[in-house]
Amino acid sequence: MRVRALLSATSLAALLAIGTPANAAGTLTVAQSQDPNNWDPIATFLIAWGSVASNFFEGLVLRDEALNLKPGLATSWEVLDDGMRLRFKLRQGVTFHNGEPFNAEAVKFTMERLLGPEGAKGPQQSNYTSIGSVEVLDPYTVDIVLKRPDPVMITKLAGYGAMIVPPKYVAEKGAQGFAAAPVGTGPFRMTGYENKVSATLEPNAGYWGGAPKLDNVIYRFIVEPNTQVAELQAGRIDIASNVPIALTSTIAGHKDLNLVSITGPTVTVARFNTHTGPTTDERVRKAIIMAVDREAIVKQILQGHAKSVVSFQSTLSFGFDPAQKAVPFDPAGAKKLLAEAKVPAGTVVSLDFPSNDTTFREVAQAVAGYLSAVGLKGGVKPHELNVFTNDIIPNGKTGEMFRMGWGGWTFDYDNTAYLMYHTGEHWNPYDKDPALDAMLEGQRKIADRGEREKALQKIANFVADHALELPLYNINTIYGVNKRVKNLVAPPDNRLRLMGVTVD
Amino acid sequence: MARFLLRRLGLAVFVVLVVTLLVAWAVRLSGDPAVMLAEGSTVTEQDLQNIRKALGLDRSFAAQYAGFVGGMVTGDMGNSFMGGRAVGGMVRQALPLTLMLAGLSLLVSLALSIPLGIHAAVHRGGVADQAIRIVSLVGLSFPNFWLAIMLVLVFSIALGWLPPSGADGVSAVIMPVMTMGVILTATNVRLVRTAMLETLSAQYITVARSKGLGEAVVLYKHALTNCAIPLITYIGLQFGGLIGGVVVVERVFNWPGMGSLAFDAVASRDYPVLQAVVTVLAVVIVLVNLLIDLVYGVVDPRVRAE
Repeated sequence: MRVRALLSATSLAALLAIGTPANAAGTLTVAQSQDPNNWDPIATFLIAWGSVASNFFEGLVLRDEALNLKPGLATSWEVLDDGMRLRFKLRQGVTFHNGEPFNAEAVKFTMERLLGPEGAKGPQQSNYTSIGSVEVLDPYTVDIVLKRPDPVMITKLAGYGAMIVPPKYVAEKGAQGFAAAPVGTGPFRMTGYENKVSATLEPNAGYWGGAPKLDNVIYRFIVEPNTQVAELQAGRIDIASNVPIALTSTIAGHKDLNLVSITGPTVTVARFNTHTGPTTDERVRKAIIMAVDREAIVKQILQGHAKSVVSFQSTLSFGFDPAQKAVPFDPAGAKKLLAEAKVPAGTVVSLDFPSNDTTFREVAQAVAGYLSAVGLKGGVKPHELNVFTNDIIPNGKTGEMFRMGWGGWTFDYDNTAYLMYHTGEHWNPYDKDPALDAMLEGQRKIADRGEREKALQKIANFVADHALELPLYNINTIYGVNKRVKNLVAPPDNRLRLMGVTVD
Repeated sequence: MARFLLRRLGLAVFVVLVVTLLVAWAVRLSGDPAVMLAEGSTVTEQDLQNIRKALGLDRSFAAQYAGFVGGMVTGDMGNSFMGGRAVGGMVRQALPLTLMLAGLSLLVSLALSIPLGIHAAVHRGGVADQAIRIVSLVGLSFPNFWLAIMLVLVFSIALGWLPPSGADGVSAVIMPVMTMGVILTATNVRLVRTAMLETLSAQYITVARSKGLGEAVVLYKHALTNCAIPLITYIGLQFGGLIGGVVVVERVFNWPGMGSLAFDAVASRDYPVLQAVVTVLAVVIVLVNLLIDLVYGVVDPRVRAE
């Protein structure tokens, strides 16, 4: 008993000591739901990683707030050998936060680590398997040689797994040490990290792009979005990055807070079971698409914090076709099609979704209502997230429809379309179409950007013509921001660029 | 006494072993950590197999279970699937925070429920008794997460006195402890009242009073000591439920304790973390109950004599 009392007493004393003042000038405090747990670029694929780590890691290529590619650790690059060789001129005089020099050897080390046994343990390697080798021409020139064409490679180099890491430091610290105390070349360096609590960043005064204006950035990991909003209202954080739609009006009406709602990376659709049941009939699928008023769902349930979509991609995606038209809301036409397909009244059409998505629960109920209005019997079926993504979808155990939310930091339709529609993919339990497979494989071999864009647009139209999914919406990322934060541009990829940001 | 202790200890080890087997089995019933790790990336089946191999999931259940129990015995709890951190370190960080919440909540509830319960019993049927019973009924009907959210609305947002989340500073402890303390008090006050009513009708109380002892001495020395046994038993039983409640309360207040660890581990199927958290909490609950068996001996000479 005495030991326990002592234990409590020491914990209490520790707690007293670490109390931090809220809202100091020059310190920006950002809350996000998830702690990525591991800061090693090869070990993660979480947006939560990118939003923090983009401050201290950099790739050869960077992307700005408008998602344009721009020089990062490489000052320029050229595409040689019909797209099979990428030559990078590296930025000179750059050092990692620990003083280690950045050069071609660091690039080679990074890529070989990513593609070697170390990388095989993590989820990043598979994104870069088109890379055959890395050749150092001189300390500031490096070639990335591809073994098969990969038109998205340059974009991928601005992303997660290809962040350049310091060879000596990684060798010294080992994977675990590096994962807990990362070192990069970015505008900020990590100075403190407490798992599941917070990460502290300080500016890198010697940053090649100039020093950031903030004194400190603190990321706090707060799981519950409601708790994030409470912290924001209490003035203890400056940015809440996961504001639930139900709380948007609270923030919008607060005198010290701004609501920032911008196009997000994720598109949500309801996909059809094309393998069994009534939705094997294309007419039934088309009828369902006509029966659901997507605009009303966006306006009323999502309170305008989303855009309806015509294919499984946002308007920012490479492969988006501005000419593609949405199927208009037409319940009478839907009824006619269903009669034509001889679907008996009251046929059950159930929509499966993960139970943690409370917003989609309302959407699913609305969809069920619309289906009932045209004589079907709409149903909703929630599953635990993990069971849903690991069993229900890949093993084809869904009902007639199932929710799928997808998007990627590459903003390239290939990243969605291939995984969703190509035969045998993990996320594609039902669709088998040799014509579609050929189109999906074919676009990956096209080096010309314009040609490939057309090929992707063709795929999007093909999917719509065959009614493989009910396109729903591209939901916004909603931030709550304290008005004392200045010059913040919220980007669609959730990676806040904090270089020019100041805090009063 | 020694034989009694030894038997209890053997039973405790058995219980913990059963818990480890149950948790290891149950956590593997659904879901695949490799897919959770790779979600969002362009995985092939080969990639998934590589990840599974790196996580040691290609081994048989028996081998994985043996590795887990062996590790728990030697103190090496393995590494988290999500990020590779040492589980031992994570638990060492989280456990004191959770025990502190649970312990303080218990203390607060005892500090409130003992005087209130005694008062209600002494003035049975009076206004205070009625009020205490009604308030305790209301307290019993609160779900803990609802109470937590209400406290945040009042003390953090409306009044701005206390931080809505986190574990930094004494002020952050108040609301989580209040949430659980209030709900515990609601049950404990009824328990104290009932036990007290029974004791107060006993003859030795009448004797004590007729000896001319002061009311305070009668109540707190003679009556309360005799109420201690049922009270302590009940607290032991409560402790498991208390730990369960901590999981929810920790989540609302973003308290980085065992509950938060468990919550994340369930969602991501992080077997090593979940197994370690459940096992360690099971050990704590078993130890608390063992301790209570010992405390019986301290408060009740009859138990000691046996």
